[in-house]
Amino acid sequence: MSTSQLALLILLFPAAGAILLAGRGWRLPRIVTKIVGPGVVWASFVVTLTLFFNSASGDFTYWTWIQSGSFNVPFNILIDNLSIFMCLVITGVGGLIVTYAVGYMDKEDGPSYARFFTYMDIFVFSMLLLVLAGNFVFLIVGWALVGLSSYFLIGFWYHRRSAVLAARKAFVMNVIGDVGMILGAFVLFVTYHATTYSGVFSQLTPCTAQLCPAVLRIFRDTPSLELAAFLLLVGAIAKSAQIPLHTWLPDAMEGPTPVSALIHAATMVTAGVYLVGRMHPIYDVAVYAHGAVAIVGAVTALFAATIAIVQTDIKRVLAYSTMSQIGYMFLAVGVGAYSAGFFHLLSHAFFKALLFMAAGNVIHAMNDEQDMRKYGGLLKQLPRTSWSFLIGSVSLVGVIPFVGFFSKEQILGAAFSKPDDSLALAVWVFGFITALITGFYTGRMWWMSFAGKPSPERPVEHPHEAPPVMLIPVVILAILATIGGFIQTRALGFGPQLVDDFLKSAVGKQPWEGGVSEVIATFATMILAALLFLGAYRIYIQQVWKPWSAIVPWAQRLLERKYYFDELYDAIFVRTMDGIAQVGLRYIEEPVIDGAVVGAGELAEAGAHSLSLTQTGYFRNYVLVFVAGAVVVAILVLVRVGS
Amino acid sequence: MSGFDAGGSQLDTSWFLVLAAVLFILGTVGVLVRRNPLVILICIELMLNAANLTLVAFSRQLQNLEGQLFALMSMTVAAAEAVVGLAILVDIFRHRDVEDVDDLSELRG
Repeated sequence: MSTSQLALLILLFPAAGAILLAGRGWRLPRIVTKIVGPGVVWASFVVTLTLFFNSASGDFTYWTWIQSGSFNVPFNILIDNLSIFMCLVITGVGGLIVTYAVGYMDKEDGPSYARFFTYMDIFVFSMLLLVLAGNFVFLIVGWALVGLSSYFLIGFWYHRRSAVLAARKAFVMNVIGDVGMILGAFVLFVTYHATTYSGVFSQLTPCTAQLCPAVLRIFRDTPSLELAAFLLLVGAIAKSAQIPLHTWLPDAMEGPTPVSALIHAATMVTAGVYLVGRMHPIYDVAVYAHGAVAIVGAVTALFAATIAIVQTDIKRVLAYSTMSQIGYMFLAVGVGAYSAGFFHLLSHAFFKALLFMAAGNVIHAMNDEQDMRKYGGLLKQLPRTSWSFLIGSVSLVGVIPFVGFFSKEQILGAAFSKPDDSLALAVWVFGFITALITGFYTGRMWWMSFAGKPSPERPVEHPHEAPPVMLIPVVILAILATIGGFIQTRALGFGPQLVDDFLKSAVGKQPWEGGVSEVIATFATMILAALLFLGAYRIYIQQVWKPWSAIVPWAQRLLERKYYFDELYDAIFVRTMDGIAQVGLRYIEEPVIDGAVVGAGELAEAGAHSLSLTQTGYFRNYVLVFVAGAVVVAILVLVRVGS
Repeated sequence: MSGFDAGGSQLDTSWFLVLAAVLFILGTVGVLVRRNPLVILICIELMLNAANLTLVAFSRQLQNLEGQLFALMSMTVAAAEAVVGLAILVDIFRHRDVEDVDDLSELRG
């Protein structure tokens, strides 16, 4: 088969799976759902691998979707190393997670079970469309579809009020981003009269720091390009749960755990990073928007990490940790270290999916209890899950030789060593502090859940390990998180650089190299973070050190309220909108609109009532009117004849 | 010959028209003021016959038989109308004790 057919096949497998399960799924035997649900994702994975090993690339146009004057929207798929990379992550890690879901969702009844895998396959299809699209229109279609499937899956347990509210919140937040994306695409179309990536990018003059100095750049940049870049960034921020559109992600943990692992950790939330990477020709020129990407990433990384310190729900800790890690990716692509960002995307997909699925095993064993304070001492009872969780945790902290070390330190190193860029150095400081906090909250999470004595409130006295279908994906990811880092050891200053080399053709080569100081900073970060990881043991298990919250209780409160973002948005947007709606209800809806509708009815009724008075029911009245009419007509005729 | 020969003198058409008008007005007033349904029906017949008289008078003056034919037609229709009217009346009387048409005013607004 040709490359173009294979590329289309990647999309068609999940679509076919979703259609089959949506139409017949709940009437077919359960085993069909178990095979089809993950099977189509694995099929896409195999096709992607074929493309990967064939080093395929190209921009394939299948048909013209809209042709109207100069507005031309083809359906084209862009196969390059970036889209293959993303497809490998989506279908590979996604395949493991959907397989895991076969076990995790087993408690659901038939129709719900099929519905879950329908949604999952719709999601995988949408996400693949997002990364394979070769033009802005289909990018936005995929972008909106992943938001929709995320909505479906967060609200999967629709009988829970909190799940429905969380789904709605996520959808609204995502639509804000979608609007930004659409406006950005409009600006680009108006400026460059093209909807395809190649059509837009070919008109941009690449402007690196060497080619034009900072002063010149201001004049070279077209304001419309900056505007488009900022609008696209709004979309990226909403989808990737970055400040200030981040509040939906922690609530999204209401969804089933495989959903959290697939959508809200490994794939969908990293779409913003993909977007900035894919649009790098734009961001290379639009320097202000590019700087904003780095700032948003750095601030979110630190901000989310601090909140994670005080969370007690294990999934919410992971959710804030996800926000924080995506902040790192934004930071990386924001300073121009694209391949470092994508390497972290890959490694984060490994260890965060691992953490979520291991947490899912724990929640499964604990009868759906998610409060870490009620766990404790699980290490002996759930050894495989505990050790896998530990691998994910130290990977998150960034301890050598786990995958998180190499990817995170490459980002920090790139920001640290970027020459002549004070912004990069500033975001490095943020990243450095975040790395330390990450060590602390991860330690707190792991020690609290698995070490020490069992909590007296623990719902299950003797928990059982999860079935193999849920353990094997976890173990595979644990292995990947352990050895995956050796594909790129750039953080150490030597060794293979497979991700960088692979993505070089798509996002360019990082134009600067780190030195010895970068490696020193790397190890300093790692050692301090690891010490904080161990320090959490002293505080939360041995309790020899006073918890920090006892010293600064106001900070604890501030963090527990998540910096009052929800309250702030409630006060600014929800209440304002509510107020406007109330005013509209009282002064527009009720008097004007209701008035017009009710008034029309009342007018008709009153008119009919007064007219009905003429209907006396007396025969002679009617005759009189009739005769009078006849007389009038006769007089008129006579007058006419006479004149 | 354009008049009606009665005792040697020709009777002008206008006399007939005046008679017809008088009959018609009598009928109309009868319909308007009487309450007995039978009398009302009779008065309607009176009005119809006034019209018939007019038709016949003009027919004679214009030496055209169409008017007379029309009068015959009108009588047939009047007979049919009387039948329907009487049938309705009989039916009303059968179900209700009605003295005059003013008792039949349930459909007033």
